[in-house]
Amino acid sequence: MAWVFLIIAGLFEMTGVVMINQIHKNRNWKSITALFSSFGASFIFLAFAMETVPMGTAYAVWTGIGASGGAVLGMLFYGESKTILRIVFILMVLGAAVGLKLVS
Amino acid sequence: MNREWVKVVIAAIFEVFWVIGLKHADDVWMWIGTALAIAVSFYLMIMAGKTLPVGTVYAVFVGLGTAGTVLADSMFFGEEFSLIKIGLILLLLAGVLGLKLVTKEEGEVAS
Repeated sequence: MAWVFLIIAGLFEMTGVVMINQIHKNRNWKSITALFSSFGASFIFLAFAMETVPMGTAYAVWTGIGASGGAVLGMLFYGESKTILRIVFILMVLGAAVGLKLVS
Repeated sequence: MNREWVKVVIAAIFEVFWVIGLKHADDVWMWIGTALAIAVSFYLMIMAGKTLPVGTVYAVFVGLGTAGTVLADSMFFGEEFSLIKIGLILLLLAGVLGLKLVTKEEGEVAS
């Protein structure tokens, strides 16, 4: 169950990242509320998951899902650049961040 | 273009402070400081996303925050420091530098 919570937390983080895009496109209370509730829900589910999943592992998986998913959705829906180099560098950063959390 | 990246780096530095705060804060003032650090770091990160691609900003923000937290843990809280951690931090910094080099700001290219 903790892993289900963890994936849900990652998905909410992903929508949070998308909402940052949305805010720059369309700054109104609706997108600001959506941003806060996405990250809020994400932190709550992360805390649930951390009750059983070790903290470093939980954080690593959460970061990986949220940041890579957010980048993919940005490319699909907000016209962010899709060059191979950009994708490789994002994977490098995320791989290193996830690795650091796992070895800590 | 450098100003936007400076915002991301400062946001990541504040991220390190609030992560430490979440773990070590034990009185009201430290919790207030932690909350302020969260507000500052997210505000700067969100504002940098105005000109830089949000996916890039978020990945760099999270990555630098992670590297900073690992460094702070080793330097101030006695966590052991290993070669593999140094290697991963270098890989991460290379990725951040690469992203900075390939990222064009909106308006810089007529897309």
